Amino acid sequence: MPSVVPGQAPSLSTFLKTLKSKDIETSIELFISLLQRRQIRNSRPCALATTQLLLRVVAGERTRDAQALITRIRNVGRRLVAAQPGEMAVGNIVRRVLGVIREVAEEDQDQSATSDTSTPTSPSQSASKATPHRPGISSTISSFSPLHHGGALPHDMHARPMSSGDITPLAQDSAEQRPQLGATSPSYAGQGPTQVTSLFGLFHTPQGASPAGTPPPGTQSPVGKPAPRQKDAAADSKLDIKAEVIDGIKELLDELEVVDSQIAESALDHIHSNEIILTHTSSQTVQKFLATAARKRKFTVVHAEAYPNDHLATHATIVNGNRKADDSDSNPSDADERWKPLTSMGITVILIPDSAVFALMSRINKVILAPHTVLANGSLIAAAGAATIARAARAHRVPVVVLSGIYKLSPVYPFDTDELIEFGDPGKVVPFEDGEFMDAVDVVNPIFDHVEADLVDLYITNLGAHAPSYLYRIVADHYRTEDVDLLAKEVV
Amino acid sequence: MPPKSGKKGGGADKGKNSGEEERPDPLQALVLADSFEPKFEPFTLEKPRCLLPLANTPLIEYTLEFLANAGVEEVFICSGNHTEQVEEYVASSKWTRDTSPFSVEIVRSSASNSIGDAMRDMDQKGMLTGDFVCVYGDVVASVGIENAIRAHKQRREKSKNAIMTMVLREAGDQHRTKAHGTRPVFVVDPTKDRCLHYEQMRPGQTHPRLNIDGEILADCPELEVRADLIDCGIDICSPEVLSQWSDNFDWQQPRRGFLYGTLKDHELNGMTIHTHVATEGYAARVKSLQMYDAVSKDVVGRWSYPLSPDANLLRQQSYAVGKSGVYREEGVVLARSAVVKKKTVLGKATSIGDGSVVTNSVIGRRCVIGRRVKIDGAYIWDDARIGDDTVIERAVVANEASIGKNCKVSPGALVSFGTVIANDTTVQGTGRITRFKRKRGYEHDELVRGAADPKVVGKGGEGFNQEPDSDDEEDFETLIPQLKLRDDDDAASISTLNSEDEDDSDFETDSQPRSHRTESFGSINSEESAGEAEARRSAADFHHEAAGSIFDSLQRGDSPDSIQLELKALTLSSNADGKQVRRAVGVALMKRIASLVESGATPQKAVSQTIGPNRLLVERAVLDRDQEDNPESVEFLLYVQADLVHRPQGGKVLLYVCNALVSLELFESEALEQWLEDERSGANPELVEVKRETEEIMGGDSEEESSEEEDDSNDDDDE
Repeated sequence: MPSVVPGQAPSLSTFLKTLKSKDIETSIELFISLLQRRQIRNSRPCALATTQLLLRVVAGERTRDAQALITRIRNVGRRLVAAQPGEMAVGNIVRRVLGVIREVAEEDQDQSATSDTSTPTSPSQSASKATPHRPGISSTISSFSPLHHGGALPHDMHARPMSSGDITPLAQDSAEQRPQLGATSPSYAGQGPTQVTSLFGLFHTPQGASPAGTPPPGTQSPVGKPAPRQKDAAADSKLDIKAEVIDGIKELLDELEVVDSQIAESALDHIHSNEIILTHTSSQTVQKFLATAARKRKFTVVHAEAYPNDHLATHATIVNGNRKADDSDSNPSDADERWKPLTSMGITVILIPDSAVFALMSRINKVILAPHTVLANGSLIAAAGAATIARAARAHRVPVVVLSGIYKLSPVYPFDTDELIEFGDPGKVVPFEDGEFMDAVDVVNPIFDHVEADLVDLYITNLGAHAPSYLYRIVADHYRTEDVDLLAKEVV
Repeated sequence: MPPKSGKKGGGADKGKNSGEEERPDPLQALVLADSFEPKFEPFTLEKPRCLLPLANTPLIEYTLEFLANAGVEEVFICSGNHTEQVEEYVASSKWTRDTSPFSVEIVRSSASNSIGDAMRDMDQKGMLTGDFVCVYGDVVASVGIENAIRAHKQRREKSKNAIMTMVLREAGDQHRTKAHGTRPVFVVDPTKDRCLHYEQMRPGQTHPRLNIDGEILADCPELEVRADLIDCGIDICSPEVLSQWSDNFDWQQPRRGFLYGTLKDHELNGMTIHTHVATEGYAARVKSLQMYDAVSKDVVGRWSYPLSPDANLLRQQSYAVGKSGVYREEGVVLARSAVVKKKTVLGKATSIGDGSVVTNSVIGRRCVIGRRVKIDGAYIWDDARIGDDTVIERAVVANEASIGKNCKVSPGALVSFGTVIANDTTVQGTGRITRFKRKRGYEHDELVRGAADPKVVGKGGEGFNQEPDSDDEEDFETLIPQLKLRDDDDAASISTLNSEDEDDSDFETDSQPRSHRTESFGSINSEESAGEAEARRSAADFHHEAAGSIFDSLQRGDSPDSIQLELKALTLSSNADGKQVRRAVGVALMKRIASLVESGATPQKAVSQTIGPNRLLVERAVLDRDQEDNPESVEFLLYVQADLVHRPQGGKVLLYVCNALVSLELFESEALEQWLEDERSGANPELVEVKRETEEIMGGDSEEESSEEEDDSNDDDDE
């Protein structure tokens, strides 16, 4: 039906499709209205769209000054966050990108400071100098260089060349550096193993983070950096900034791509044979996690349907596997294997209404939840019903495990949890047609629940498993303190 | 405002990206920003309806948001009244920036008096080339129309005659968001989603009946008669719709005129109209004040999700929703002891004083609300000030209005822009307080500032109570249905003949010939009865149009021949009968006399100036003067009498009119007697009062009459 196109309602896929053809300001406005109209919703699509948009913004930016770039991203970010404060993933990605820029800028400063005195062939030296200035490393790099799990390495090896190839249309300025970027991967991979263990340790012992974590970025950037400087000796460190930032954002995109697989890698540590697992909503992450475990072990899944906001998606997930329409741009080649329903893998899945959770909880061995957002204090916002489940689990002393990508982790402290909870269409609870009822009764349909930190036993992120009380450390590693409050005036 | 060329480029890219070899026409939309109805008076005297705030956001924002949501690429806003304000607003809105998802063009259509005129105007301008979405400037909808558009295009590919698809929302039997006045009834063929018949019902009708064409029943084995639909005024139209409007220049209303007419002429032109019944999403039109109340509740209660206040449709808005549905913008100042209860919206920089209680209300920006104020279910727009100890319930207080201390604003009251209510005043529930009144001008109406009425607004207040304008064909809408009903009853009691309410009078006048029929609901009727129903429908339109045009011609001083010609054409086109013509002529003449009297002429002079030169009109309208029995003359006089009830010096005018009519030999004096004896002429005290003087003269002295007769005939000869 060809003529449908003009009347098509916008969505994530149309947004991403038109992103390149439209000018940046239009895309920003479009994204804002899509957020407002809830046509792009939930963390993953929001994070994806934000990253792509910011990539465009950075690529389209003429300035070579890091500070100007930061101001620009902050301004854009502020508008995006104001459009839909409930979608915290947007703010998280904005902060992450800001972090990337700041890091590149600081490195650049150090480099230019050192390049006057020392030769550019002293990367380790410059890196170690940079260390004190850097409160935390951007996890883009740490997750990109997924050194803590051998299994992840192929992913990244695969992703690297692809991403550097992608840069071409986006960042014309960086064209001349392309060969070097391509060259980084092998050289980097060669260096990898020595740092692997130290980085891995970093996230399990956050105290040691800064010094131990530095080498990977330190080693990475010098390889790319000295080369152009040799070419354009004088000034082109600015040009470099942009390319580096784009590179950083690309890595962020890669992280979003592989986050589920990384989380799923720890599945076998947490799911054991003949366990009964309770889960909720149609989260991709959880499905992937369970599917990974299901390859080796047999267990039972009890699935609460999350009526009325997510039950249709939940049913579809159970029957057809978890291939969402708005995720169509993820790698289609492994679709068959990745999105198979659990039942086809020999797992018994029992669908229950949310109201039956408490009754069944005594038989459950583990609860696995997928959050909408994880907050800095270890509490979380998740689909409505999650709080009930968590409380029931607490009553029966059943461990609650939360699977969350780092991109869902927000540095925002929940002072007023009421404001974080979005209320949806009451028509899903009581039909709008029932005029007499809807006129007389106030119907509310909360989309999210707030789950207290002490109801959660374990967080599994793409960096590994953490206690809720330790999330603050990951927050500190990923977000700059100056970026936490995006709405605050820029402190220069 | 020229359409932006940059936008089209973007749209073209979109088409290319989705792998189209040929770019389809961009989806266009027509927004009817003017509804040509006085339902929102007194507010619409100063501001167009589409800019009135609903939950602190102008109505047109919701409409444009809906269109953006539907993927529309070109929008035409057709505006009749207050076009400058609409232009100014749109120009400063986000929709005309480069980032807007569509191009916006405002089409001035100031000559239009109805939606029909506006549509014909659009047809002439030829801007709408492909299929387009036709909506009003007051639609609030989150319903997706993607499927409706697709279905429409599929039907169009099969048959060019499927010219329109109406988007309707299912809403059960009783619903606050449904129209409360007339109730639309759609007869639909569910197998093809085709609308077969359309009628409007009044809830007060004792025996509701539909007149469905027999052929429809014969053709379609399955029928759905649906009265449970919200007609949200969203139509997906093909260009043929516009030419239909042009071909039928007497159609005024999109439903009663266009839809009814097109369905009736299905046999002739084969055109079909389809329906798309939405069962999900929200769609409603802010058609009247009651609907304003209902839709506001829906928006605040999130039924229209995601179009709730915290969607912040305007860029500078910053609403956040807190506990129990209280929406607050930044910078709201609440006294510690102020209580804000459920379902309330508070705009930026509004302050609420100690001990005040606000429930279920929408309060705009920068409002100052004093201490111990009680506000329940009210709509208070930007910059209003409310004094201490005042109580406001279910009322609308417009921008910059100021209400003093210790006042009471009763349910249903409307306080318009900039009015000032003094301390210790009670505003009645029927009050419509405004500073401006409409003066019927020559070409178009103008606004004049009325003198303050201390009885209504208290000492030192500003504003007066707007009286329902008897010339308006529509009944005044009220915020609260109960009040509305009471008004109706009042109107019915005096409306044996003089009712200006079109629907009422139509039902009255047609009830006699129809009462003998005993067909039940939906039974088969002959061709004639369908025609009759049509006549009933068009009668009101005809009366309004004919009386208006005669009056205008009289004011201009056109020759009676040309007036008669125009009237004749109108009569034929709307198939009006003699009775309607008599009513129109009578009302128009009396209106002219009244305007002369108002401008200072004596009733006698006014009558002679009006009736004398235009005797032709009366002559043609009343044809039974030579007969024994003169029912037509009586009827004419009854209409005249009824009209004069509320005119200044009605009694005197009536006397002179009777005099003139007889002296000009238009009427037999027997006719006058018959009229005076007719029981309808004395149906209520007002009518009796009006004819009292005439009766006295008629009964008594006939010499005076003859002398005046001579005077008049002399006048005539001079002419």
